Amino acid sequence: MVQYNFKKITVVPTGKEFIDIILSRTQRRTPTQVHKGYAISRLRQFYMRKVKFTQQNFHEKLSTIIDDFPRLNDIHPFYGDLLHVLYNKDHYKLALGQINTARNLIGKIAKDYVRLLKYGDSLYRCKSLKVAALGRMCTVIKRVTPSLAYLEQIRQHMARLPSIDPNTRTVLICGYPNVGKSSFMNKITRADVDVQPYAFTTKSLFVGHTDYKYLRYQVIDTPGILDRPFEDRNIIEMCSITALAHLRAAVLFFLDISGSCGYSIAQQAALFDSIKSLFMNKPLIIVCNKTDLQALEGLSEDDTKLVMEMKAEAMKTLVGQGGEATDGSNVLLTMSTLTEEGVIAVKNAACERLLDQRVEQKMKSKKLNDCLNRFHVAIPKPRDQKERPPCIPQAVLEAKAKQAEEDAEKEKRKLERDLENENGGAGVYSASLKKRYILAHDEWKEDIIPEILDGHNVADFLDPDILMRLEELEREEGALQGLEEDDDFEMDGAELTPEEQAALAEIRKKKSLLIQQHRIKKSTAESRPTVPRKFDKDKQFTSERMGRQLSSLGLDPSMAINRARSKSRGRKRERSSDRVDSMDVDGDQQNKKMRLKSRSMSRSRSKSRPPGEVVPGEGFKDSAQKKKAIKIAKSSSKNRNKEARRGEADRVIPTLKPKHLFSGKRSTGKTDRR
Amino acid sequence: MRLEKCWFCSSTIYPGHGIQYVRNDAKIFRFCRSKCHKNFKMKRNPRKVKWTKAYRRLHGKDMTQDSTFEFERKRNRPERYDRNVTENTLKAIKKIDKVRVDREHRHHTKRLTFSSLYCCNICDLDQLLTCFEKMDRMKPKKAQLRREAEKELEQSISMVKAPAAQQQDPSLTLPIKVKVSKPETVENRMEE
Repeated sequence: MVQYNFKKITVVPTGKEFIDIILSRTQRRTPTQVHKGYAISRLRQFYMRKVKFTQQNFHEKLSTIIDDFPRLNDIHPFYGDLLHVLYNKDHYKLALGQINTARNLIGKIAKDYVRLLKYGDSLYRCKSLKVAALGRMCTVIKRVTPSLAYLEQIRQHMARLPSIDPNTRTVLICGYPNVGKSSFMNKITRADVDVQPYAFTTKSLFVGHTDYKYLRYQVIDTPGILDRPFEDRNIIEMCSITALAHLRAAVLFFLDISGSCGYSIAQQAALFDSIKSLFMNKPLIIVCNKTDLQALEGLSEDDTKLVMEMKAEAMKTLVGQGGEATDGSNVLLTMSTLTEEGVIAVKNAACERLLDQRVEQKMKSKKLNDCLNRFHVAIPKPRDQKERPPCIPQAVLEAKAKQAEEDAEKEKRKLERDLENENGGAGVYSASLKKRYILAHDEWKEDIIPEILDGHNVADFLDPDILMRLEELEREEGALQGLEEDDDFEMDGAELTPEEQAALAEIRKKKSLLIQQHRIKKSTAESRPTVPRKFDKDKQFTSERMGRQLSSLGLDPSMAINRARSKSRGRKRERSSDRVDSMDVDGDQQNKKMRLKSRSMSRSRSKSRPPGEVVPGEGFKDSAQKKKAIKIAKSSSKNRNKEARRGEADRVIPTLKPKHLFSGKRSTGKTDRR
Repeated sequence: MRLEKCWFCSSTIYPGHGIQYVRNDAKIFRFCRSKCHKNFKMKRNPRKVKWTKAYRRLHGKDMTQDSTFEFERKRNRPERYDRNVTENTLKAIKKIDKVRVDREHRHHTKRLTFSSLYCCNICDLDQLLTCFEKMDRMKPKKAQLRREAEKELEQSISMVKAPAAQQQDPSLTLPIKVKVSKPETVENRMEE
């Protein structure tokens, strides 16, 4: 049902707008650049694409327009008629037809020109073909402009139509103009309809919603109807007529008893007669309004008679429907919208009547059974007196019994929490955690045990046989101490003889010498060049020395010396050392002296070399190189020494901020750089 | 509550002291004070840092193996409380400690005497003892000194006496010095 989709119809652009939209889209969405030099097929393709694209877009847009607008035959006759009433069915159809034709024409144009473009032989020709095609399409649209405008108007109006559901419960209010229909509407619904003293204030249908017995009812307010022949009615009246004709609703015919609407009761009765055919099969209620101005009883006889006639007619409808012979209270009602007297009664009566009618209809329809199923519960009748209790397996019963027992027990057992509460609550009582300890003797539970003793963890030492082991240990210790004491006593035995002591002293001396030498060598190795042994810088590897050492060890060195000397004959150095040796042989007395002298001489000799002389083993090529090396070394330390620095790593600044640099004014210039 | 050992210096960490560092592989390093912690962060090896127990044990400065160490063993399962056992244990801890301390003392004296003997050439034991007293060191027993002196003499006699000489004269005394005979040179003859 397309009832509410009137709001969703696409906007219909005007002719000019339409053309603009489509053409600009073509320009944007298709490639724009083409040159003469391209292959002809490419040129053709380019222009064909443009033409086709334009045609497609037109087609799309026009199709959406045509599809969106409702087809009058396909929608609910109420709407169909309403639309016909409002916007002439024929006009409407014509407009849409024109749009359709335009669409087909554009398609044809595109087809033709694409065919022509296939044989275009130059850029210019293709281009002009394309221009022609697009031009013709645009002309088609220009011709259709008035239809487009008309459709746009219709669309706007349709979007504002009230959303009436033709199938739901509806209450229709009709009557002469200015009778009080809109005020009634305002009273029972939330609709805010214009209420004015002049006639035809309401110019179209208005919908409001009201509730009765938890159901929603549509209340439709119609414009006033005048008593005229059918053909003379204007659009506004036709609206209400349509509504009356097509909607299955309860009808409230309003009657102004006081005549303040400007029409007499006779006229209103005449109207009633003329449209009573529309009230067929609809629950009808005659409502006498404005009773505050004129009460129903106070009417003149003629008027009363007319009213009663109307009532009789209404009763006929009533009888025709439900067959419930009731009194006329449900058919003729009085109220006053100004004083709100009887308004609710009217509403209730109308809703009630409508509901009854709808229910009856439903009951008669084929879908009855479906409805009935929804609120009927079948209860089987017992066929005999046999007891059939539910079957519960034994295990479940047992489990249930056990559970019940446990629950009972839980209730009986005293919890720690209860104990706490008894003894003063959480802050006062602290539960004894040692209560449930499992120990060999119960009186041990409250023992206070140290965990740490003298820097040891007691737990690490715990051992059931610790006493045994301790005993063993003490025995061991005793034994050891015994040994020591024995040693003490043994001491008086053999002491070292003086010769032995001398030997020991000698040994110790030698050992300490070795250590000293090693220490010296260790510390100076970095700063002195390590001369390999064969160069013998300090003259310690002489055969004479070897001889001395060997003899002190108790060996005869002569053979060793001879062997050494035989290997190194004819050397200058040897001869000089020989001289020393010869002196040595002469006497014991001189021996010592000479020994000392030779030692001192050898020492002095090692020290008194000229400064540039190269000692073999130092690594210099010649004395010139050595001199240069010494010079470089000195020059590197020269600047340092001038700065009074102890060495390379000495970065001490004696004064970090010397006053003469950081204070004082300048005679010219600024002092912002110091 | 447990007393832990510092990972770096092996001293005991009392509760409320030090820092624990847990590494990503879940190894826990405990430090007794920031000195150890900072050394650890510098990636120093405690076995090379002189004042740590690890160094001292490794270089034989402190006693390493002893039966007193076997009494202290970390248990992973707690034992059920037994009053008698605990009483005995508490008494035993004190005695074990005493024994251990005595043994360590002995170890230190043994060690120190030997090393300090290098420094002096005094052979007389009494003199040595007075020397020790003056140095304010632990005075070793006379017997110990004598024993060490004998050992040293026996082991190192080859420094002052050649093995050949030792064979000829098997006593632990200095050898008789052999006179060096001078061969006649040309110059000498000339001088003469």
